[in-house]
Amino acid sequence: MKNKRFVSFVIKLILFTLVGSFFAWSFKSGYYQLIMDDAEGFIFLLKQHINMVLLSSLLAILLAIPMGILVTRPKFQKLQWLFMNTANLGQTIPSLAILALAMTWMGIGFKPAVFALFLYSLLPILRNTVAGIKSIDPDLLDAAKGIGYTPAQILLKIELPNAAYPIMAGIRTAVVINIGTAALAYLVGGGGLGDWIFTGIMMRDNSYLLSGAIPVTLLALLADQLIRFIEKLVISKGLRQTVTVSD
Amino acid sequence: MKKILSFTVLIALMVSLLSACSSEDDTSASASDKKVVVGAKNFTEQFVLSKILAIYLKENGFEVEEKNNMASQVVRQALENKQVDLYWEYTGTSLVNYNKLDPLSDSVEAYEKVKEVDKENGLVWLDQSPLNNTYTLMMREEKAKELGIESISDLAAYLNDGNKLSLGADAEFATRPDGIKGVEKAYGFKFGSSNIKKMDVGLFYQALRDGQVDVATGFSTDSRIKAFNLVNLVDDKNFFPAYNAGITIHEKTLEKYPELEELLKPLAEKINTETMTDLNYQVDIEEKSETEVARTWLTENGLIEE
Repeated sequence: MKNKRFVSFVIKLILFTLVGSFFAWSFKSGYYQLIMDDAEGFIFLLKQHINMVLLSSLLAILLAIPMGILVTRPKFQKLQWLFMNTANLGQTIPSLAILALAMTWMGIGFKPAVFALFLYSLLPILRNTVAGIKSIDPDLLDAAKGIGYTPAQILLKIELPNAAYPIMAGIRTAVVINIGTAALAYLVGGGGLGDWIFTGIMMRDNSYLLSGAIPVTLLALLADQLIRFIEKLVISKGLRQTVTVSD
Repeated sequence: MKKILSFTVLIALMVSLLSACSSEDDTSASASDKKVVVGAKNFTEQFVLSKILAIYLKENGFEVEEKNNMASQVVRQALENKQVDLYWEYTGTSLVNYNKLDPLSDSVEAYEKVKEVDKENGLVWLDQSPLNNTYTLMMREEKAKELGIESISDLAAYLNDGNKLSLGADAEFATRPDGIKGVEKAYGFKFGSSNIKKMDVGLFYQALRDGQVDVATGFSTDSRIKAFNLVNLVDDKNFFPAYNAGITIHEKTLEKYPELEELLKPLAEKINTETMTDLNYQVDIEEKSETEVARTWLTENGLIEE
């Protein structure tokens, strides 16, 4: 056990040194100078990027969670495969193709980008919501019924709290993927930090490329940590212990 | 021993092949059998231009072989190696891409410069045509009329009065110093970074048509300018580099057929930017064949008989 820990510590150390030296090298080469020189432009693109991610993720959460709850109700359980397969199918279409399709009837700019990102975020949240609710011990539900809980009470007091962890994990996956995919919004004039990434590619200019790509990466890491923090607030203490073990 | 024998046979074979080639050259030099290879790059305008050239030469007693659909660098290489005898090239492309020089915005200056530098490469530029396929800023026709904007100077004045317009461009043009930043500097105005919408190459024509942006960058002979009712703003300070078309020909070919210089003059004279946009439109939007478009244009201009 101690040995294993030591090895993982060494690997971590090597990785962190590599990342650190990459940052030092790129800083030294002045690859982030652009962020300082064009701070106004950077903030503008960053805001666009965040707006796109926030709006599309929010819409996806608002639709996918109720949808997940709906298809796990006994009445609608038959429809579950339909919803899941539709969402699965959506995920198999390449993100570029969704962008192009959205563009044909939503025009160019912010709207088609948000729509495509929204579609892309639906599946992870929906799948995790359904899986989370289905994984609850039936005995627990029987007990709840036995002490006279109404179906609404069962949902709010038993099912959702118990499924909170997988649901939050789904949201986390969706948002992190979303932040990376949002870089493609440039292609349809949606803006965001993808503008700089594509400028870097087109002009073979590393300072544009890195000034766009690194903030996107950091943004994804930050969002991941933020949602982990929210997770802690949302999931009740008693449940958290069991899930941290399985994590 | 066997090896030496087969080697000699091989050499003999190669020599005879080579002499066969040169003898063929001799026959083609005779006036009765005039033969040229016409090249073209890989976009509509080039297809039409090379068709015009090919049909015109055929009608004037040449045997013409056409080699179309080559990448810019490839067709140029083919001309230098004399696999192609002549094709339409653009002055700006030759300056910047092949000769690694700075672009020149003055048509005449650019033409004189390429004529001079390409001479060292063994290539001759025949007369340049007024056709200038350069960068352009476009607006919707009605919007431009409504705001009274005809030139980039008008646009600059309008924006400097405190009005706002958005611009659609691809990432490259929006960032290159000889792109939008250069335009802003030369004319003394600013769109402002929040008003510049960057998107994939070519989408801005559609974006402009649909009113998603007010101004867009483009290429001056693109058929969509006509199809979407757009106008090119006049570059009254001659900021954009000149991309005038002209026929480039290998010097050996011209030595062989010196009459080509006079013969091809009217082609260069008669094809201008408006004509070209129209011809591109007929092919891209009306879906006519390049041959049909080229032939009609030649007969309408009295260059060939029907």
